[in-house]
Amino acid sequence: MSPVRAWWLLTRAAVRAQAQYRVNVVVTVLAGAVYQGVGLASIAVVLHQFGDLGTWSVAEVTFLYALRLTAHGVWVAPFNQLLSIDEIVREGHFDRFLVRPGNPLLYFLTYRVSLMPTGDLLGGLVLLAVASAVAPIDWSVAAVAYVVLAVLGGACLELGIQLGLAALTFRTLSTQALRSTIDTVFNTFGGYPMHIFSGTAQFVSTFVLPLAFVAYLPGTVLMNRTGELRVPGWLAAGSPVVGCLLLVGAYAIWVRELRRYQSSGH
Amino acid sequence: MMAIQARTSLVYRANYLMNVVAVIFQVYLLRILWTAVYQGRPEVAGVSLGMMITYATFANVQTWVTSPWEFSLIPPRVREGQIAGDLTRPMSFTTQIHARQVGRALATAPFVVATLPLAVLVGGGRAPASLAAALGYVLSMVLAYLVSAMLSVLVGMIAFWTMETTGIFVIYRVVFMFFSGAIVPLWFMPDGLRLVAEALPFQAVTYVPLAIYLGHAATADVPRLLALQALWVVLLWLGGRLLWSRAMHRVVIQGG
Repeated sequence: MSPVRAWWLLTRAAVRAQAQYRVNVVVTVLAGAVYQGVGLASIAVVLHQFGDLGTWSVAEVTFLYALRLTAHGVWVAPFNQLLSIDEIVREGHFDRFLVRPGNPLLYFLTYRVSLMPTGDLLGGLVLLAVASAVAPIDWSVAAVAYVVLAVLGGACLELGIQLGLAALTFRTLSTQALRSTIDTVFNTFGGYPMHIFSGTAQFVSTFVLPLAFVAYLPGTVLMNRTGELRVPGWLAAGSPVVGCLLLVGAYAIWVRELRRYQSSGH
Repeated sequence: MMAIQARTSLVYRANYLMNVVAVIFQVYLLRILWTAVYQGRPEVAGVSLGMMITYATFANVQTWVTSPWEFSLIPPRVREGQIAGDLTRPMSFTTQIHARQVGRALATAPFVVATLPLAVLVGGGRAPASLAAALGYVLSMVLAYLVSAMLSVLVGMIAFWTMETTGIFVIYRVVFMFFSGAIVPLWFMPDGLRLVAEALPFQAVTYVPLAIYLGHAATADVPRLLALQALWVVLLWLGGRLLWSRAMHRVVIQGG
């Protein structure tokens, strides 16, 4: 059985397990959507008051925000178990995944599922549809394809960073604080046009913690704004590739660090 | 009861230190963000960048004590059956919960007070607008804490109707954060939204004390705002009593 098919079957089983509690499913997904709705309302209030952000119109900023939110939803909706790595490693639950045939990561990611991030994904998709209509983008087949690639690349990038950090848990037993701090940085800045920030912040967000590749850089390509960048246009256009490379690298780290796992014993 | 909860909370001291770092980092990020959003504009909606940064810094530190995140002590007690022991004590259940909440807040308070100067150093902040504003702020913070404590009890009682409270509480928390002004102050909200926020109790927790501190609320307005906070304390307390008298009939004891 291919890993993708195995993943799909296991995820479906996990979702079915959740779906037994119907009202809870509805409330949970709703909670995810309200959470993102409030995030959106907050940025809407700021834009309403401040107008354009450094030559970026409200429509353009909305599109960036939507792009980032969708990318976030695409990775967090199916793979949110990654966020529980500390508990799983510390309590020795990881043993279970190691003794089964196939890839342990597969079992870890599907042994339970939270439906709340589905609300993130739904919110992102709705907003992306709305923002696509108002943002100044010449819609062609190529542009649509690029949006899809950008979303997938952004998802890979965020997943890659979280996976790489999660892998360190085998060594340190605790990465929760670090992972949630990085997530906060992504949530706080990911949807803004980076050129309103200082040069240092722009450098950090491109080369140290590469959140610019999630929405801002592909956004400049789509809206013909690569002129304002301090990095070459081809690098911005290659954002989806950057995301994929990061994920591949993170997986390599995961495989290497996994060998360090020591069960807490039962 | 207060002392018991204070000691329980203090067991996790490393947690508190982690929180200090997290709050300070958050304040630092918000300073970068607001500075970028202002782009050198002297004022937006009558609010300068300095005022806004002070607001963001204080709001984040304050939220730690008045936070809706870890707010209610009721749901875990119902879920794990501790409620059975609580009900046998010769003290009303709501009084016990209030005492525990105050205990937890008192245990947290020293960390919060120690964090504030650090946060101001990293984020930025200015002195209160006047002596009256400083005094009003302290009074207002006490009332703000009481409003948040009353809200916690009221909302926590949902646990008597449904054990699975995660989703409902997430909704409550984000609505709380938004309408309290903890994310965006009420002064930036468009009129319609601001009217809604002003009609809700949440603004009494974060926005009102800071509007007083910064002098955004005129000195003449301060007594009215304090009275409004006090009114919410009383209303929410009554609401909690009413709900408790109904919840009593629904108590399910889990485990033994």
